[in-house]
Amino acid sequence: MATTAPALTPAASGYRSGLYEWLTTTDHKKIGILYVVNSFIFFFLGGLLALGVRTELAQPGLQFLADENLYNELFTMHGTVMIFLFIIPMLVGFGNYVVPLQVGAPDMAFPRINALSFWMLPLAGTLLFLGFATGGAAAAGWTSYSPLAQDRPLGSVGPGQDLWIVGLILVGTSSILGSINFLVTIFKMRAPGMTLFRMPILVWTVLVTSVLVLMATPVLTSALVMLFIDRNYGGSFFDPANGGNAVLWQNVFWFYSHPAVYIMVLPAMGMISEILPVFSRKPLFGYKAFVFATAGIGALGFSVWAHHMFTTGSVYLPFFSLMTFLIAVPTGVKMFNWIFTLFRGKLTFSTPLLFALGFLSMFLIGGINGAFSAAVPVDFALHDTYWVVAHLHYVLFGGSVFGVFAGVYFWFPKMTGRMLGEGLGKVQFVLMFIGFNLTFFPMHALGLSGMPRRIADYASDAGWNELNLAATVGGFLIAASILPFLWNVFVSLRSGKPAGDDPWEGNTLEWATSSPPPPYNFDHLPEIRSERPVFDLRHGRAGSGH
Amino acid sequence: MSSSPRTRFAPGSIWAWLLLASIAVGLVLAVVTDSVGALFPPEAATAQGREIRDLYTIVFIIAAVIFFVVEGLIVWTVIRYRRKPGDDELPPQTHGNNLAEIAWTVIPTLIVAFLFVISWQTLNNVEAVSAEPEVTVRVTGSQFAWTFDYLDAGGTSVAKQTVANGEGGVLALPVGRSIQFRVHSVDVIHAFYVPAFLFKRDVNPDPDGRESVFELTIEESFAGEVLRGQCAELCGLGHRKMTFEVHAMTQANFEAWLVEAQQSPSPAPSGPVGTTLQLAAKDIAYDTLELEVAAGEPFAIEFDNQDVPGITHDVDIRLADGTVVANTTEIDGGSSTTYVYGALDAGEYTFLCSIHPVPSMTGTLTVN
Amino acid sequence: MTSDSQALTTTEHSPVAGFAHDASGGISNPILGMLLFITSEVMFFAGLFAAYFASRAAVAPWPPTEFEHTLEAFGPVFPATIMLVISSVTCQIGVNAIRRDDRAGFIRAIGITLVLGIMFLLIQVFDYGLLYSEGLTVAAGPYGTTYYTLTGFHGAHVFGGVIMLGVVLYRGMAGQFSSRHHDAVEATSIYWHFVDVVWIGLYTTLYWLR
Repeated sequence: MATTAPALTPAASGYRSGLYEWLTTTDHKKIGILYVVNSFIFFFLGGLLALGVRTELAQPGLQFLADENLYNELFTMHGTVMIFLFIIPMLVGFGNYVVPLQVGAPDMAFPRINALSFWMLPLAGTLLFLGFATGGAAAAGWTSYSPLAQDRPLGSVGPGQDLWIVGLILVGTSSILGSINFLVTIFKMRAPGMTLFRMPILVWTVLVTSVLVLMATPVLTSALVMLFIDRNYGGSFFDPANGGNAVLWQNVFWFYSHPAVYIMVLPAMGMISEILPVFSRKPLFGYKAFVFATAGIGALGFSVWAHHMFTTGSVYLPFFSLMTFLIAVPTGVKMFNWIFTLFRGKLTFSTPLLFALGFLSMFLIGGINGAFSAAVPVDFALHDTYWVVAHLHYVLFGGSVFGVFAGVYFWFPKMTGRMLGEGLGKVQFVLMFIGFNLTFFPMHALGLSGMPRRIADYASDAGWNELNLAATVGGFLIAASILPFLWNVFVSLRSGKPAGDDPWEGNTLEWATSSPPPPYNFDHLPEIRSERPVFDLRHGRAGSGH
Repeated sequence: MSSSPRTRFAPGSIWAWLLLASIAVGLVLAVVTDSVGALFPPEAATAQGREIRDLYTIVFIIAAVIFFVVEGLIVWTVIRYRRKPGDDELPPQTHGNNLAEIAWTVIPTLIVAFLFVISWQTLNNVEAVSAEPEVTVRVTGSQFAWTFDYLDAGGTSVAKQTVANGEGGVLALPVGRSIQFRVHSVDVIHAFYVPAFLFKRDVNPDPDGRESVFELTIEESFAGEVLRGQCAELCGLGHRKMTFEVHAMTQANFEAWLVEAQQSPSPAPSGPVGTTLQLAAKDIAYDTLELEVAAGEPFAIEFDNQDVPGITHDVDIRLADGTVVANTTEIDGGSSTTYVYGALDAGEYTFLCSIHPVPSMTGTLTVN
Repeated sequence: MTSDSQALTTTEHSPVAGFAHDASGGISNPILGMLLFITSEVMFFAGLFAAYFASRAAVAPWPPTEFEHTLEAFGPVFPATIMLVISSVTCQIGVNAIRRDDRAGFIRAIGITLVLGIMFLLIQVFDYGLLYSEGLTVAAGPYGTTYYTLTGFHGAHVFGGVIMLGVVLYRGMAGQFSSRHHDAVEATSIYWHFVDVVWIGLYTTLYWLR
């Protein structure tokens, strides 16, 4: 091929292309970077929305929000943006960049569909935010329960909710197309010698995630479509005033939205599973068990959705309680596998490892506090209180977001050819870790003492004042921690230390090519005899332990 | 492939000590500020709530043990296995251990199986509904009011309490007796939540008016207590104000209270009135937002609430700056009443429904 | 890696498509992609069917008395169903034809499939008109909403399939397919069979099971 192909630009300048190139690229690496940058923009927007919420809640009394509905819009859009425009696409972005490299492929299976999947996202985000300019954004919670989400007085009147529906249908379509791309790439385009059980763990987690996306997201699409018909064509799916069934919305919605939480965490777990071995200088402990645990979580994830509905009085409680408890088992297997990867290793505390360790500790807390809700009677007390807000943020922020930052610090050198500064990275980690815990740990106590979710204000004599103030301070600390990160990125892009091909002594194929890689990824591939082909190459077969 | 110099990795010992120190500080802070107590629900006011709290305690103990063991393992591992500067030798490349995998699959399975069984048992106790409850209360949720109907044996309401935007009646309940709650909504989904009960239940709208039923018995020691209640399912603009109070009483006090509450609260017009205005409400909107009346004489408003039962409205009068001039008792949907107001000075006033002021139940009353 | 790649056209000769013809055997990338896409579409319809069955279980009587005889199994949908089933047969005939390089036979068969697909759509639209005049509308309670949502989205999928058949027919007439290279035909036919199977399910559920 190389003899007849046109001359290719040198790898070092491969990514510094013009605007036109970025707008029309079908290169998975550039698309991956587009996903990451776009997702960070929405992370900051979603964070601003959260700061709006926390600012109002810092003290009892309505200080800032003359329009009470604005508060409902703030937390609705915060949740929606963080889930659909930040975390899910961010992980897709990393998958996009890393998976073809890790399987030794020149690109994804369908590069143009890949580009389409990305460009649907800024459009979807625009539609969602347009709600603010057209009489009010969606304000029924990211869960959009019917009948509050219906078009009725004191419900969701106006186009904001419809824009929300259409925006999410776009995001869902983007996701589904992406999942097809990943699955075909993973199943069909692996380099010779890479059997399924020699794939990097990140590829496995992306595989399982893609199955979840493929099977669950269309159900959300169907729910959104049905709600749109209810709102705009007099439909009777979910509106009891028309003969419909309000709890049906919850069932269809959560059938997607529970697997969605695994969609939001499994690739981050995959990233951690790449990072811990590199910085412990030993392989991932229990690779096969890890693969089965991941598949188990994916499968079980489809059987627990009604644990979000324990208080409706309409679900068969013991089944969903049992399945929810059971899903803790494969999750625990993973936790122990990670810890025993570190165990008897030789740890280097670079920033990727710090964020990975943060992930382990925070996800542990999130998993534990989730178990309380699996005990149905306890959930009767905790549901729809700030306990749940604590739980979801421990797993999604303490888990996925910390995992994302670990991935950023780990793969930034590969993407850009430059290292991110370690000093600034550590400052970010410490600030973010402290800020995060200060924000969300007090919410356990708030929920236990009875503070419900989604209230713009609370009674000044309920005993919630100090903890809310602490949580707000923590929120601003998290915001502050973004500043050293942004500065780090800005400075490193210009004058960071050159990374070379393999700055971390990595294990997987992306470290076997230049940083950034040439457009076609590899000049030649090393032999693949284990899940650590670059490690094997560096240490010879004797180093692989087989 | 070229690999980078090892010296790029900074030694991590200071960070390990920092980590240990921050955990230690955190623990000390937790004990010093008595935060551990904050990690428990309040004392339970019902028999069912006690069961739930006991279950919580067991889960908490197991959770705490698991947390300290696993987190301790992480912290210890991180400190113990730091790479010494200059040490380039690979550690043993252990790929796994099947026995370990089995162990940490089987043991957690046993733990969660145990947790499932005890929580199922507690659930059965909590969900038990008696054939003949001693007190029956129908709870109707609406935006943004609670209506509590005390039902007799035949299911007829003998007394009613309405709490709108957190003000108005109370949910008086006797201690030591089984109370059956039958909840439903007339509009969107709400949730009946009393933190001291450690319990909530969604209040759903149903085209056939089906109710969700549960039963609680308040502990005797809570007689005389006032407990906070609040809607716990986002229901729109007024969600944060949809609170109510539970007044737990001895059985004797409750019976006396019930007798008083049985009297109908509709106000009778008294004395001569000047003008009588007409006002109706439907679909949570007044049929007019402009009213006019003469200054200096009492007047009345014949008010017809044409919404469905469960949706209450009233017609309060306020000055432009919000000062309350007249507070009226709300009436239920499907009923009408005549509100009588004292004489007003000339000027512009606001008349509004105190429960649903926005978007369509705030108007201008011109007095001239 | 194929060595006959002087001209870098899309699909057939790009480096990625070198894998498509699969030296190691097995289905090609586009066909695997279509199968996965169909899986997602099955889940989409699953959500709609779940809503249908939930509504049906909650509302009595079903069908409501005013619509007891509105959906007739032997009404216009009956010939439409026959046509759709036949179109799957003709579609497969077309696929088999191109697999043995019978381009004329392929074009004939796909042409007939396309016509049958269009006729299905026309009958569906005509039937909607009749139903509307009998009072069965989207806003006619759960019965009407579920009926139009299910059949409407199915119709949209048929329309998408008709477009695909049209494109495949055009490309076939332009000589772009051979027994070695006809992934688009295979993918389209799989999609068309899926659309047919969904219709069988819908017809049985809405018109027979009621």
